[in-house]
Amino acid sequence: MSPAAASALVVDGVTKRFTTPDGALTALEDVSFAVRPGEFLALIGPSGCGKSTLFNIIGGLTGGFEGQVRVDGAPIDGAHRAIGMVFQEESTFPWRTTLDNVAFPLEVAGMGKTERYARAKNLIKLVGLDGFENRYPAELSGGMRQRTALARTLAAEPRILLMDEPFAALDEQTRLLLGDRLLQIQQALKQTTLLITHSIAEAVQLADRVVVMTYRPGRVKRVFDIDLPRPRNSEIVSSAAFGHYVAQIWNDLREEAAKGLDESEAIARRTGQH
Amino acid sequence: MDQARLSARHFLGSVTALRVATLIVLFLAWEAVAASGWLFEGVVPSSFKIGAALWDLLTSGAFYSNIELTLGEAAISVVLGAGAGIAVGLALGRSRFAGTAFEPYLHYLAPTPKIVFLPILLVLFGIGPGSKIAMGTLSCFFPMALSVASGVRQVDPVLLRVGHSFNLGRVAMIRKIYLPALVPPIATGLKLGLGVAIIGCLLAEIKMSNRGLGFLIMQYYSQFRIPYMYAALIVAFAVAALGNALIARFVRLPGR
Ligand SMILES: Nc1ncnc2c1ncn2[C@@H]1O[C@H](COP(=O)(O)OP(=O)(O)O)[C@@H](O)[C@H]1O
Ligand SMILES: [Mg+2]
Repeated sequence: MSPAAASALVVDGVTKRFTTPDGALTALEDVSFAVRPGEFLALIGPSGCGKSTLFNIIGGLTGGFEGQVRVDGAPIDGAHRAIGMVFQEESTFPWRTTLDNVAFPLEVAGMGKTERYARAKNLIKLVGLDGFENRYPAELSGGMRQRTALARTLAAEPRILLMDEPFAALDEQTRLLLGDRLLQIQQALKQTTLLITHSIAEAVQLADRVVVMTYRPGRVKRVFDIDLPRPRNSEIVSSAAFGHYVAQIWNDLREEAAKGLDESEAIARRTGQH
Repeated sequence: MDQARLSARHFLGSVTALRVATLIVLFLAWEAVAASGWLFEGVVPSSFKIGAALWDLLTSGAFYSNIELTLGEAAISVVLGAGAGIAVGLALGRSRFAGTAFEPYLHYLAPTPKIVFLPILLVLFGIGPGSKIAMGTLSCFFPMALSVASGVRQVDPVLLRVGHSFNLGRVAMIRKIYLPALVPPIATGLKLGLGVAIIGCLLAEIKMSNRGLGFLIMQYYSQFRIPYMYAALIVAFAVAALGNALIARFVRLPGR
């Protein structure tokens, strides 16, 4: 088997430039990495390093880039059925109940009511929302809405789960517990997963490998193998090995985060002078 | 909390009392003017005469065929005008190019009294219900198109990205995401559109027709049967209010 065929998802030399009022902005430069089948890969980088841009490119929602994104060896052209996306923003449909939100991809695929509700109910149980089937998103907490969105994405049975900071808006405790839940689901489904995050702890808690990105233009700085035992849960955050990985990654990331901070301070200073 | 609820109830009670008092004062003032004979006889008839005329109208079968006609015209106008308004609003809102090119026309035409189009509509659709429906449709179209066009631009972009990520085609995007997301602006458009559709039909009937509620109002006026004219006006007002209440009732917003 060639190495390419052994990967579920390959990002190969992706470069993305935006034209802004201040001129050209290179958001991503020659980004390459691969996700193996069943692997949990985390991608980490400071705010503004191009993570969401890459998320949209892999999901087929953003075009006009150089390089290739390949699924099972074939370059994608638009949204690929094998890829399921969970967005950073609030993305549940406010006019649908939990049940109808989760059943959404099945409904648009033309599946009958009985079957799609049965499947949706299983997924709702999987993400721990049983009992909330008939609630509207406005009646749920932020964490519950994000789980609804996750279940909705899983309903389409994607081979690759792609998530952009899905827990970013949640508090620390909720984040840890949802991380556990996500790991259980990922292990149960052997779900190939690419999680984008800016939290080192989250990356180490969940991932098999962590890709660290540089700040603007976003490039791959280093890839860490996380050799922590499975099954894992959030208790691992108190272990020495966990702390070791966090320190190592922070060492790499600190420089990049500082660049981002300097830049945003410079912008604040410039705009403050007007 | 109980304190707050108590004072809220107190507030509502005062509002109701004020409303009732206003009605009573208006009623007495109206009766005083009617009895005084200051105004030309019959311009302000006693409310008892209007009441009697209303009773007379409501118990005569011929009256209902006129109401039915006007209501039917208004209903068809709302269906046609709202349908066209939603379609055009969606097209304008979704395409930045079309929106920029055409929306200024809508904004200029929307506040224009549609009655100026009546001569053309009479030529095109005749003196019968056709020209009335055309007036109502035209009136209903503009508020709906504008409301939907601006609503489309406010649809949360992440919901559209969710749709694209699930590979939804154009029709599914409209049916499953745009239309449900647009229920509030469509309800607003319907509310405004229903009112102006009824006004449009009535105005057209008043100007030129041989049947309908508007025609009756005008006929009573020209025959100087003022109490009957007021009675027909009251019915027109009630019909419009009822229509609005129905829309408010049927257009519920789940989860919002
Ligand atoms: N559509 C766009 N047009 C212009 N610049 C953009 C656009 N989208 C993102 N950017 C810029 O690209 C950079 C990366 O953004 P993003 O991918 O959102 O970063 P992250 O998700 O890592 O915070 C930022 O500087 C952002 O301002
Ligand atoms: Mg982002």
